[in-house]
Parts: sequence; C-alpha cells; structure tokens
Amino acid sequence: MAPPPAPPQKSPSPSQPSGKSEVSDLKLQLRQLAGSRAPGADDSKRDLFKRVISYMTVGIDVSAAFSEMVMCSATSDIVLKKMCYLYVGNYARCHPDLALLTINFLQKDCHDEDPMIRGLALRSLCSLRVPNLVEYLVAPLGAGLKDGSSYVRMVAAVGVLKLYHISAATCFDSDFPAVLKSLMLTDPDAQVVANCLFVLQEIWNLEANKSEEASRERETLLSKKLVYYLLNRIKEFNEWAQCLVLELVAKYIPSDSDDIFDIMNLLEDRLQHANGAVVLATIKVFLHLTMSMTDVHQQVYERIKAPLLTLVGSGSSEQSYAVLSHLHLLVMRAPMLFSSDYKHFYCQFSDPSYVKKLKLEMLTAIANESNTYEIVTELCEYAGNVDVPIARESIRAVGKIALQQYDVNAIVDRLLQFLEMEKDYVTAETLVLVKDLLRKYPQWSHDCIAVVGNISSKNVQEPKAKAALIWMLGEYSQDMPDAPYILESLIENWDEENAAEVRLHLLTAAMKCFFKRPPETQKALGAALAAGLADSHQDVHDRALFYYRLLQYDVSVAERVVNPPKQAVSVFADTQSSEIKDRIFDEFNSLSVVYQKPSYMFTDKEHREPFEFSEEIGNLSLGQESVGNARRYDESDKDLLLSTSEREENGGPNTNGPAAAGYSAPPDYNSSLVSLSSQTQSETAISDPGMPKHTSQMTLAIDDLLGLSVPAALAPPSLKLNPKAVLDPGTFQRKWGQLAVSISQDCSISPQGVAALTTPQALIRHMQASSIQCIASGGQSPNFKFFFFAQKLDGPPSFFLMECIINTSSAKAQVKIKADDATASEAFFALFQSALSKFGVL
Amino acid sequence: MAGAVSALFLLDIKGRVLIWRDYRGDVSAVQAERFFTKLIEKEGDHESHSPVVFDDGISYMFIQHNNVFLMTAARQNSNAVSILLFLHRVVDVFKHYFVELEEESLRDNFVVVYELLDEMMDFGYPQYTEAKILSEFIKTDAYRMEVTQRPPMAVTNAVSWRSEGIRYKKNEVFLDVVESVNILVNSNGQIIRSDVVGALKMRTYLSGMPECKLGLNDRLLLEAQGRTTKGKAIDLDDIKFHQCVRLARFENDRTISFIPPDGAFDLMTYRLSTQVKPPIWVEAQVERHSRSRIEMMVKARSQFKERSTATSVEIELPVPSDATNPSIRTSMGSAAYAPEHDALVWKIKSFPGGKEYMCRAEFTLPSITAEDAIPERKAPVRVKFEIPYFTISGIQVRYLKIIEKSGYQALPWVRYITMAGEYELRLI
Repeated sequence: MAPPPAPPQKSPSPSQPSGKSEVSDLKLQLRQLAGSRAPGADDSKRDLFKRVISYMTVGIDVSAAFSEMVMCSATSDIVLKKMCYLYVGNYARCHPDLALLTINFLQKDCHDEDPMIRGLALRSLCSLRVPNLVEYLVAPLGAGLKDGSSYVRMVAAVGVLKLYHISAATCFDSDFPAVLKSLMLTDPDAQVVANCLFVLQEIWNLEANKSEEASRERETLLSKKLVYYLLNRIKEFNEWAQCLVLELVAKYIPSDSDDIFDIMNLLEDRLQHANGAVVLATIKVFLHLTMSMTDVHQQVYERIKAPLLTLVGSGSSEQSYAVLSHLHLLVMRAPMLFSSDYKHFYCQFSDPSYVKKLKLEMLTAIANESNTYEIVTELCEYAGNVDVPIARESIRAVGKIALQQYDVNAIVDRLLQFLEMEKDYVTAETLVLVKDLLRKYPQWSHDCIAVVGNISSKNVQEPKAKAALIWMLGEYSQDMPDAPYILESLIENWDEENAAEVRLHLLTAAMKCFFKRPPETQKALGAALAAGLADSHQDVHDRALFYYRLLQYDVSVAERVVNPPKQAVSVFADTQSSEIKDRIFDEFNSLSVVYQKPSYMFTDKEHREPFEFSEEIGNLSLGQESVGNARRYDESDKDLLLSTSEREENGGPNTNGPAAAGYSAPPDYNSSLVSLSSQTQSETAISDPGMPKHTSQMTLAIDDLLGLSVPAALAPPSLKLNPKAVLDPGTFQRKWGQLAVSISQDCSISPQGVAALTTPQALIRHMQASSIQCIASGGQSPNFKFFFFAQKLDGPPSFFLMECIINTSSAKAQVKIKADDATASEAFFALFQSALSKFGVL
Repeated sequence: MAGAVSALFLLDIKGRVLIWRDYRGDVSAVQAERFFTKLIEKEGDHESHSPVVFDDGISYMFIQHNNVFLMTAARQNSNAVSILLFLHRVVDVFKHYFVELEEESLRDNFVVVYELLDEMMDFGYPQYTEAKILSEFIKTDAYRMEVTQRPPMAVTNAVSWRSEGIRYKKNEVFLDVVESVNILVNSNGQIIRSDVVGALKMRTYLSGMPECKLGLNDRLLLEAQGRTTKGKAIDLDDIKFHQCVRLARFENDRTISFIPPDGAFDLMTYRLSTQVKPPIWVEAQVERHSRSRIEMMVKARSQFKERSTATSVEIELPVPSDATNPSIRTSMGSAAYAPEHDALVWKIKSFPGGKEYMCRAEFTLPSITAEDAIPERKAPVRVKFEIPYFTISGIQVRYLKIIEKSGYQALPWVRYITMAGEYELRLI
C-alpha cells in the first residue's frame, strides 16, 4: 500500500500544501458530490480523488476524509473505484473502525458483473489486514476461487495467503488449502495454477513445524505426480511462474536416473529462455538433480557454461553482478570449469566497480597453470590503470594467485615491479603480499629482499603494510644491511606510531634482529623494550615484558623462541568451511549466494525456508525448556531429513571426502596427515606430527608468531564421557556452524541393530546409556537422522558433536563428527562405534 | 518460500520515497528511506555500491534509471537474479506507459503507477510484466469516460503474449539484425578479447494470429537440411529466444517458428565468440615533452569491405585532466576537446571501408604539478560506430514467412546493422 499516514512531523516541503485546510476543503467538496447524480459529477469526483491520492502519496494524512470517500464510492465508474480501493487499502489498517464502513461496498463489488471489478474488490478486501474483519473475507474468497473469470481466481488464490497471514485459523477452518490444491491441479489458467502453488508452498512451509499433517502436505507438493504435472505445462506459464515451478523441481527427489533424464530433456530448452532468471533456475534444477551422478554432473557444468557466460556479458550490470556471484560459487566446486574462458572476466572500463570486484575474484579463482600468465598480465594492467580500490583489489588478486600456484616465478617479478611503481597504495598492498609470499615460499627471499630493502619506510604509512615491512626487516635482517638502522629509526618514532599492530611487530622484529646482528641492534632493542614497557596498549606492554623476562631468564632460550627454524606455510586458513559452502550451494539462485552466507545467517526465523538443513538445527532452539533431555523432534520433517541425507550421500567430491580418507586409517594417522584435505590441513599445517594437536586458531597464531614448538606426549588419553553432559540447542547450532568436520565416515550396523531401530527413540535411549546425548532426531524407516553430542569428563569442557544418518535398509550409518578438540575425535568415534555395535544386542 | 519481496519503492535521486507499494506489511518506508539515503550519501558515487545490500534483517535490491531508483525490500531469502531482472522489467513497463521513466513522469501519474504496481506483483510475487498485456486493462487514457475496460484477455489465452482480434490495415513486419562488437585491445596492439552479441529485433504490425517462420544461414540448420555450406553459414554460440518461439521445434530441426507479440520485441539474441577483425582500428602515438605539452598522433583505419560505410564514428581519446590549449588537425571529420570527459572526441560522420584517416592534436600542460597528485586514471581509447547493411558475423535472414488464416499478404522488411559495443583499446 501507499505510505501509511505519515507522522505529522514529516513535513511537506514549502511548495506543498500544509494539509489541514486542504483536507477539510476536500472533505467538503466530496460531501457535496456524494449524492449528486448530475452529469459530470463523476468527472469532478475523479479530480478530487486524484488530489486525495496525490496528497496521500506525498505523505499528507488524508484519513480524515475516510467517510466521505466511502460515501462517494457508490459509483459504477471503474477508475473512481480503483482510486477508492487504493485509498481504503492505505488507511484501513490504521483506522480499523472506519474500515468496517468499507466492507459493505467492497463485498457488493465482489458480486459485480464486471470481472475486473470483482477481482479488484477482492484484492482490496484481502489487503485490508484488519484482524477483526476476517469473517467478512471468507465468503467472497470462497466465491472468488470458483469464479468464472481467471483473473478473479488468480486474485483469490493470493487472497487466501493474505487471509492466512491475518488469521491462519480462519484459513484452515474454511478449508481453503484443500480448495487451492484441487484448483492447482485442474485450473486451465496457468497463472492461477502458479499462484496456488506459491500460496500452498508458503502456507505449508510455515505450518510444517507445527503439525505432522502440514509437513505431509508439504511433501505432496514435491510428489512426482505434481512435479510432472507442472513440468508438462511449463510452457504455458509466464516467465516468473516458470521460475517458481523450476524452484520447486530443484527440490524434487528423483526416483531413478530415468526420472532425472526425463526432467532434464524436458527442461533443456529452458536454458535458451530470454529471461535470465529462468535460465538460472533451470541451471539449479540440473545441478541439484545430478548430484548423485558424478559424470553427468560434470556434463551439466559443460552444458550450462555458455548460457552463464552470456548472462554475465549481456544484460544489466545488476544482472552480471548477481550471475557472477553464482559463477563464483560454481567455480569453487569445479575450478576447471571456466579456466579457458577467463577472458570473459576481463573488466570493461565502463563496468561498475561492484562488477569489477567480482570479476577480479573470478579471475583469481580460475587461475591455473595454463592461464596464469595471461590473467596476471591483465591484472597488472588494472593495478596502474583504474580507480584506487580496484587497483588494490587487483594487486591482492595477483597475490592470491601467487599463493595458489606452484610456479610463481613470473608473478614474483610482477609484484616486485609494483614496488617500483612508487605509488603509495600500490606499495602498501604489495608489501603485504610479499610478506605472505615469503611465508609460503622462503626460497624467494633473496630476490624479494633486494627490492624490499630499497623501499623507504617513510613512504609506507598504512599499518598493515608497515607491519609487513617490519616483519620482513626482522625476519631477513641478515640479508638487509640497513635493517638494524631502519628499525632503530622506527623505534625512535615509537610515540608517533598509532597502530598497536605495528608496535607489536616492531618489538618482535627488534628481537629477531638482535639475535642475528647483536652489536648493531642492542641499542635499538633496549629502546624498543623500554618503549614497549611504557606502552599503554596492553598487548604491546605484555609482549615487551615477556621478551624482557625471557632475555633475563636465558638468552639462548629466548633465541629458540624468537628465531626457531620455520616451516613454510603450505596453505593459509580458508575462511569458510566446506559445510557452509555446501549449504550455500543448496540455496543456489537466492540471496545466500550473493552474500556468500547460508540464509539462516541473515533472515529472521519466520522468514526462513524450512527446507534447508540449517533450519533443522535452528528448530532446536525451540526446545530450550528441555535442555539436556534427549528430545525427539517430530517437527524436523521427514522429507527434509530424506532430502538432506540424499544430498549428503551424493555430496559431491569435495564435501569432506578427502578428510575422511585421511582419517580412515586409524592405526597410522600421523602419516595420513599428509593427505589431508586443504581444509583440515589448514588447521594442522603448523603443528608437525610430533606436536599435540591443539589446532585452535589461537595456538596457531602464537606458533606462527614465535615459532614456538613444545615437545609433548603423543598418545591421546583414553576418553571418558560426562554422563550428565548438558548443551543447549543454541550452542549446539553455533558450534556446529563454527567447527570443521574432524571425522566423516561410514560404519555398518549389525542386523540386530537394524531390527531394533524401529523408532529413533530406541537408539536415543541406548546411546544415553553410553553418555552420548541426542539433541535432535527424526525420520522414518528406513532413513533416520540424529544429532548427538557428548562431553569429555575431565579437563576443560570439550564437546563432541555428531551428525548420524542411518539407513536401515542398507544397514549403514554415515557419521560426521565435529569436536572442540579434534584430536580426541578418533577416540570418540571408537567409543560411538562400540556403543552402536551393542545396539540391539543387549 | 520462493522468496517474496515485502515492498517495492520508487525513490528519487536523493533516495527519498516517491511512491511505494507495501505488499506484505513487514517493512517500514521510513526505515528503508533512512537506510537508502544514508547509503547513497555515504558513497557519493552510488556505482561503487553493489545492487544488493543487507541492513537490519532486510535485503534491499535496487537499480537506477535516470533520476529514479527502483528498490525492493525483502525479509526472505529471495531470488536475487529474478528480482533484479523484475525491476528492469518494471522500468520497461513504465517506459511503455510514460515514454520516459523519471521523477516527473511518476509524479504526474501516481494513480496509474499504483495500479501497475498492483498488477505486476501480488503479495510480493511477480505476476505480469508484459507491457502489452498490462496496457489492455490499465489504460492511461482510461480517465476519459467512454473507454470501457475488459479483464485481461491474454491472461486466459493460450498465447499469453498476444491478444486476439488485432487488426491492421497494412500488415508489415520489420526485422532488424543488430550486432554489437565487443573488443579489448592491449597496449601492444594485441586483441585480448573479442566477441559479438547479436539481436534480432522485430516490430510486428500484423492482424489476427499470424504464424511466422524465420530462416537463417545457421550452419547447424543448413547441415541438418543436408545443404552444402559454402563458407556462408555461421555458428551461433549461445542462442536465446523470446518466449513466443517454439523451443522444442528449434531443438528438433532448428526451425524458428512463432506467433509474434504485437509491437516491438527481441525475437532472438546470440553470441559469437569467434574472433573477428575489428572493423575500426586505431593507432595512437603520444609524445610528452617533459611537463609542458603533449602531442598525439592518431590513425584510424576501417577494416571492412569498401562497399560498406561506417557512420557516426566517434573516437574518444583520453588526455591528461590538466591539459589546455588544444590545437587539433584532422584529415577527415572534426575533433573537439571535451574537458568534462578528459578526452579528445574525434567524430567522423561517414567512414567508408578500406580508408585511413589521421588526427593530430597538441595540448599544453601546466608546468607545475602538485607533489602528491592523485594517480592518473588511465582510460582506454573508446570507439563508437555503426555500419548499416552489414553484419560482422555474416548472419543472413534467408526468409521470413508469415501465414495467417485469413490469407493476407504481409510485407517483411529486413535491415542489418553492426555497431560498436564495449570497444576499448588500451593504447595510451
């Protein structure tokens, strides 16, 4: 509706009428015309109505004229009626008492002989949103759904949804969902069908958490019969309705491969549709249907390439932006996909910077041995050419590519050329990159240091860049003749240095330098420690104190701490877990992809789509009152469980496969570390096999900082679980989102176990006996899904979280374990397996 | 939920709400306005902000057209591509109604705008965005008394994009084959990217329910028909059709058959990624004499057959932003300094194939520059042109048949044109 009656202070600009006198004037005129049947009366009414509407639009409260407007509404002129509906719709919610006045004429109009008026009146009636008027809605809606005109039926279908949002009970009491269902299957008009579809989808999605029946209803929306019915009519739908249908089909779980191919053949031509949204929706269907068939899935990628590239290149920049976000997601899953089409992602001069930014990300993601040279050449072009933020981004992109590649020879040269360009922001960005490069490829230090040594620290102002420069000065002070003196002058200006980050690095660099060139640095180090001890920043102060005491204690120990032999960092930590990426992929073709976040992170609960897996955990927070008690969630709907388990079974090559492989050989897991997936690797990269597997980010940071290496015991202690472990669902959900999968494995279930698993409760009770608690479960034979957790008995609180999908027909359980302390998860898994093997036996 | 949006806003250039339609009652206009005005104020250059922004639980998606922003607000996880596309369709519909969509035309037509917003979207779900169909039941001239309104015929029709009972005295079809050439050349004069995007634009003025059939020299089609392809056939990369085209038939035997909508529409678009010879080639030599002056010598060459002629050629050459005192000579056309674009714009009205023209320009530069001057934005040389009666891909319309049951004779008119798309040469 138009703006609600604006608060009075939203003052109209001086040119607009101030309101009050105008409104009373209008009222008077309207009253005069109300009863008039004189020729031309309608004309003058129109002028008046138009004025009312424009006042309303610019924010003047004209609700005072409500009764006059209603009085004038008795007319056969459709234009007047439309304006009147508009007015009524705008003010009814704030003036429910007045809204009652309109019911009469709206109801009457719902029986008008003109279908146009019937439709409009019905729409207005449903849009009043006044709870105490719902009783007047039911009869006209019922009639509307049976109306001879498709226009009225179309409006009525949406009207049901509006009614549902005002009063769900009334909607169900009148049995409208059932009517819609039959309408959806029989109506000759495609738009009516489409409207019924989204109305039912929305209603059942929202209801599914509340009743079994509703979730069953929602399941039937995904039944083969309905999906095929809609697909067969797909050409009758308009483009937006097609998107709707395709969205539904993407959730459909095909029964066999013939099913999949039938659907794909039918939809093949949709990839040629002029509307990009239809194309993208079709792509989603293709991708999701073929998840289980690796080779076909690959063919799908090939097939969708051309349409996607066209969508990027043609159409509005907004469209390019949205499509590029999707491409980025796809490239993460199939890196080779666009590697030969990299030229499509070259930036145009006229591209808006939000498109350029995504294009740079794409170029970074698709760079491989074959195209790196061209891509980096192009990126270097941007570094000098275009606006500063993009120039920065492109330098960063070059750096990222360098970190991905094995052959960095040429790239290092380029980066060093950047340093010679002598533009402050270029130098700043490049320094940061050179630092990261050196951490990964120490063998390049010689070339880099020569160039870095020439940079005057006065030209570097940005804290990040300055910190990077200082790090290099400390780390490679033996190769840089000036290093101690540069550090010294930096330390002299200690008080002018605002960023704590820089001061911290300065301390460490002074220490490092001291051990390499003691006589030259001694004075500087003393000054640095003194300044650090007097520093007001807590971290700086603490670090200075730490170094000071360390030196006091034993200089050779201090040297070992500060300058240990360092291992090159092989992989930098990935910021996003593959779990989250999978979830985003499930929500392909939605905002999730644009934000690179699953929807539960940015939508309110009531606006979420319960289809996704995350919602299931989200539901858990409902059960706050029964914390700790193993509690079964009927609400977590079966089809949901099925669909997620299906998807995870077919999870695609890069879900967590390699990690599982790495851990699946328990007796010798030190050596298997080598073959870890990048994700797991990133967490354990620093700690070599002889070290305790404390993989938290914190330790990593300190290791990194000081190169600390502490010898420790290898064997993990045998695991005891806390029988009274408590974890509230909110925490569970958060942890599940944060932690990485430490174990993902299949195990089999004994035949007795299968026999005993008739309901989820049986297993839940059994697991409780082994101190493994269930936080949520669901499913029906043969598919069950459980979320378990357990807590370590002694030591700091450490939780194990576990997702377990059991298929009784194949007697297999799929297990994913996440743990606060990933090193103990093997032991936990063993414990779980032994408990599982006893299930049904006892 | 397939992601319904909560409201649609039309905002002025400063981000203030002109009109809005609240579909679901869960967002507030005041909040949206406050958020959006802040957004564009902060950015100054709104281009740098992505068209999807998240704030306080609400996803805002917007596009700009002239001095109007169109924005949706959604609380659900809606479909970004389709909503952004929908907004562009809304622009098209408004353009159809008001000729131009701008603040003024919206202010003058509040009532129609409300009506349109109501029919294009219901409860946040897109409904109809075909201007032709909407105009059948929402008429601007409906404010005269005598026009009677009927419910949308096409809504119930099997052919949703065309109404029955259309009559023309003279039955005509205009088909424009428009190709735009996108080229990117680096500073060494190498083509690093080139492709062609083509569109078949149609305007139909035909009575009744005509069946049309279009034949192209599409290689796959010709091969399917067993004809020899003597170098005349072309490979089209990624073809997209208007919804009226029977895609199944195209899949089977590559014939393009359709019942056209009334009026103007894009029948088909395609892309060609095979490298083409750039129709207009530019070479530039720039000499900087210390900090006092800059000399440019530019050569432009047409690399197409002599019987074609490029028209409205416009070559935009970047010059330093502090250049003054231009002195320009050209062997053809006229060149002028456009300081507002930091460019020298050389215009040639008619540029026949196989010719070469020159342009010399000299600018004075101030001898003093600020120490820490902002880095220069180096822009590429950009070229605009049109070449009528010529398609760079070689696509040809072999026939356009129109069959209607009343048996009238319709006249098809076909035109070809090639123009510059993103045509950039990073020469300087």
